[in-house]
Amino acid sequence: MNRILLVEDDEVMPKIIARILPEPEYQVDVAVNGKEAMQKLEDNNYQYDLVITDIMMPYANGFEILSKVKTHDQEHPIPVIIVSNAGNEDMIMEGFKLGVDDFLKKPIIPAELIIRVKRLLMKK
Amino acid sequence: METTLSDILQEIRSIYYYAPLAIKIAMIFIFLAVSATVLAYLVMLRSRYRNFRQRRRLQKMLPKIDDLLINEIITNPNIPQDVAPSKVALDLEPFDALPLHRRWGRQMLTARIIHYRNNVSGSAGDLLRNLYLQLDLDKDAMRKLKSRHWNRKVEALTEFTLLDMPISDVTILPLANSRNRELRAAARQAYIKLSKNEPFKFFDSVTDPLLPWDQVELFRIITTTTDIAIPNFARWITYSSNKSVVSFCMKLVVHYNQIAAVPAIVKLLENRDHLLRADAIEALGRLKIAEVEDKLVHLYTSQPLFCQIAILKALGRIRSGRHIDFLRNEFLHSTDFDLRKAAARAIVKNEVVARGVIDELLATTKGENLLILKHCMNPLIKY
Amino acid sequence: MSSVQEILAAFYDSSIFVYGLTLIIVYGLLALLSIIAIRRYLNATKPSQLENLVSSPLAPGISILAPAYNEGLTIIANVRSLLTLNYPKFEIVLINDGSTDDSLEQLIREFDMVAVDFAYNEKIRTKPVKNIYKSRNLAYSNLLVIDKANGKSKADAVNAGINAAAFDYFVCTDVDCVLHKDTLLELIKPVMQDGDKRVIAIGATLRIANSSEFDEGVMTRMRPPKAMLPRFQEVEYIRSFVLGKMGWSALNCVPNVSGGLGLFDREIVIKSGGYDHKSFGEDMELLTRMCRFCEDNKIKYAVRYIPKTLCWTEGPASLQVFGRQRTRWARGLAQLMFAHRGVFLNPRYGRLGLVVFPYNFFFELLAPLVEASGVIVYLWLAFTDNVNWPYAILLLIFVYTYAIMITTLSILWDQLSFHYYKSFKEVLSLCIMPFLEFLLYHPLITFYSLKGYFFFLTNRRSSWGNMQRQGFKKAKTTT
Repeated sequence: MNRILLVEDDEVMPKIIARILPEPEYQVDVAVNGKEAMQKLEDNNYQYDLVITDIMMPYANGFEILSKVKTHDQEHPIPVIIVSNAGNEDMIMEGFKLGVDDFLKKPIIPAELIIRVKRLLMKK
Repeated sequence: METTLSDILQEIRSIYYYAPLAIKIAMIFIFLAVSATVLAYLVMLRSRYRNFRQRRRLQKMLPKIDDLLINEIITNPNIPQDVAPSKVALDLEPFDALPLHRRWGRQMLTARIIHYRNNVSGSAGDLLRNLYLQLDLDKDAMRKLKSRHWNRKVEALTEFTLLDMPISDVTILPLANSRNRELRAAARQAYIKLSKNEPFKFFDSVTDPLLPWDQVELFRIITTTTDIAIPNFARWITYSSNKSVVSFCMKLVVHYNQIAAVPAIVKLLENRDHLLRADAIEALGRLKIAEVEDKLVHLYTSQPLFCQIAILKALGRIRSGRHIDFLRNEFLHSTDFDLRKAAARAIVKNEVVARGVIDELLATTKGENLLILKHCMNPLIKY
Repeated sequence: MSSVQEILAAFYDSSIFVYGLTLIIVYGLLALLSIIAIRRYLNATKPSQLENLVSSPLAPGISILAPAYNEGLTIIANVRSLLTLNYPKFEIVLINDGSTDDSLEQLIREFDMVAVDFAYNEKIRTKPVKNIYKSRNLAYSNLLVIDKANGKSKADAVNAGINAAAFDYFVCTDVDCVLHKDTLLELIKPVMQDGDKRVIAIGATLRIANSSEFDEGVMTRMRPPKAMLPRFQEVEYIRSFVLGKMGWSALNCVPNVSGGLGLFDREIVIKSGGYDHKSFGEDMELLTRMCRFCEDNKIKYAVRYIPKTLCWTEGPASLQVFGRQRTRWARGLAQLMFAHRGVFLNPRYGRLGLVVFPYNFFFELLAPLVEASGVIVYLWLAFTDNVNWPYAILLLIFVYTYAIMITTLSILWDQLSFHYYKSFKEVLSLCIMPFLEFLLYHPLITFYSLKGYFFFLTNRRSSWGNMQRQGFKKAKTTT
């Protein structure tokens, strides 16, 4: 079973992702804002196999979450995918500087997301 | 403390009975003010009730719509994979559960389909569009398009653009020249997205400036529409007399890295309009055209300040390292702070070639110049 | 009746009657213009467009300037909430204006900041900047903290921020204001939508935060203030922004962009000399100078307002703090009118000289004087039994009902466009305020205004001493 933390303030995306990454193979934990995401990371002691996050959200943006996830365990960092509609060049660059593993722009192609998720989980 | 409305009315009535005519007339105005106030309360109440009803409907309907869209459309295993998503005959029966005979029901579903299409594309996006068509949801927008109110037309055009609905050129083109700015902008976006013939045709005829806001919309539509044939933008850069079109086309050239359009942009360096020239310099820098560097350096002294800064930035972007001396000179001897900063930044960007110069400058400069150099070298400082 | 009384009565009958009538007509027109402007705004604003700007490479950069003085209690939460604004290209310039608390230490610790060699260009003179800090964490790369010596004014702190700002536009706010997440998108939109005029400043509606709920700098529940004094202010803000400023915006005659939230064209601000740290109403004073600069240099300019509420600020909850704030505002207005008296009715300054200044002179500056003197004359006449009572009471009722109508209309405009607040009961709690305003709130404001004018007249030469940041540092009683 793969535990995935999905950080997304739009209500539709979690519903879609929960379906295209179904249980029992995946267990998708949803946080609707940055604060909740930080909370879930702490509560679960960073026991996630993958983090999917948006960029612009209340309380803490995706980059903060990304940097927090990546600095927590630098030996075995949790892979992170950014899924956002805000994806200009500067932001993509910033994301990769902070060590993001993949950057998908909304609207996503569900099949593509599945493949990228699988590939990152395999690498791990 | 609390004064109620009826108290006040009572008061007014009692005065009215004893008042002479002139004052009665004046009191009519008071009556008007009071009734306007009361009317305002009623309108407020009505508007809040409507809003409340709409919210309640949404609360009830949205979970149903979401289930249907996800189960029946996006992740439905029964939808054949070998048929093009736009040709699939969808099972519409489950959607009978929605109040689609009511206009608000249709509107709600349409809005949700658009919301989903903002999140998913590919075959799932095509299936959603297919659903919109098969449920005849486009009929409402079609009617709106014929409305006399411009804002209804804009709503219809936006809906069609978001859902990729083909509309005939004859319907859109008159609107693209409308006197209403919002309508004009919406029609142009629809035209680029939906026209099958020559999506960029209106670039030839547009005389009013494309506002920065409209450029954002157009840019997004042009760069995200997949089946659009991208023309050589040099055509408008050379021949259009509309500065905003020229400037916008240069941004598109940069986006598509259209090297074929470079000669047209280079010609703009002779243009008499400062802003256009600055845009051209910036575009050449972003395209990293090393061949124009000499020309830019040559032009430098005759330019206004913001064009000079644009040239320094361009040299930083091109990074050929052939004009380090020029940059060093500007950095050390220019009197303007912004010029020195731009020059320093350009030198730092040329670091691979200019390592020696940077070390030398770090060792020899003092005070403000040293500060500028350190500022530009610090990776923590973005701007 | 003595001859003095006759003259006075005649004067008040004729000129003051005309004065009152003009004011009534102006307010009626503003109500009309504002609803037109609001409708235009609503028609032209589709949420999807704002979303598009978020992902666009063509979005212009914006610097947010947030001056802070001893805001240690809330500073971290507020910076965090600024960091999460929806916008693709912005920086936050936080100016620590010589705080004596641990604001700076908190920032350094929380955001992993270090002092950097920053090429600070002092285009506007300010008190010395001690250090400039950047974060070592890339996630906070758009945060910049300026630590400067206390300049005893918000103006001086913001000026330092303007000097360090990287972008062509800056948003000025107070660090204790809470901003809507789409603030930057909404404020930059009018700039990008104007084809033939240069939009030099844009403001938006401000509201009182006192009873709303906030969680770490994010608004979670909007509610009208429960206490009387802040609730009066909420109603006053709705009227002043939704009805007043929107009406003036339709005519391109906006007199002031509030210091709580506004977006400005940085080049014009610098060329106009920045904020004046000696002014008591630095926001209005700056805008006046910017408009003058544009008129002098033949720049076609516009100042716009948007009806949407983007900023919540703590309103003074005690009479003492409130009084200080209003006295300061009135003093600022008197100061401004005096300093820029050359603009008044000067056709060279176009609408600034012929509309904005005359209106503000007659109906903002003079109004408290006219009212106060009116009351005195009225009392005198009453005392000597020279009042035509039915006529007088009728006029009073007319003014009273008209004032209520105008305020109620502004609440209606606000409700029609945005449906703020959760229940109708909450809206009603605002609707009763105009009935009391005339008796309780308005006399207070008139009194504080007169006090402000008095200070202006008496302290003209030696006003440096009490330039403490009154009004800038707001009461922190409820949250």
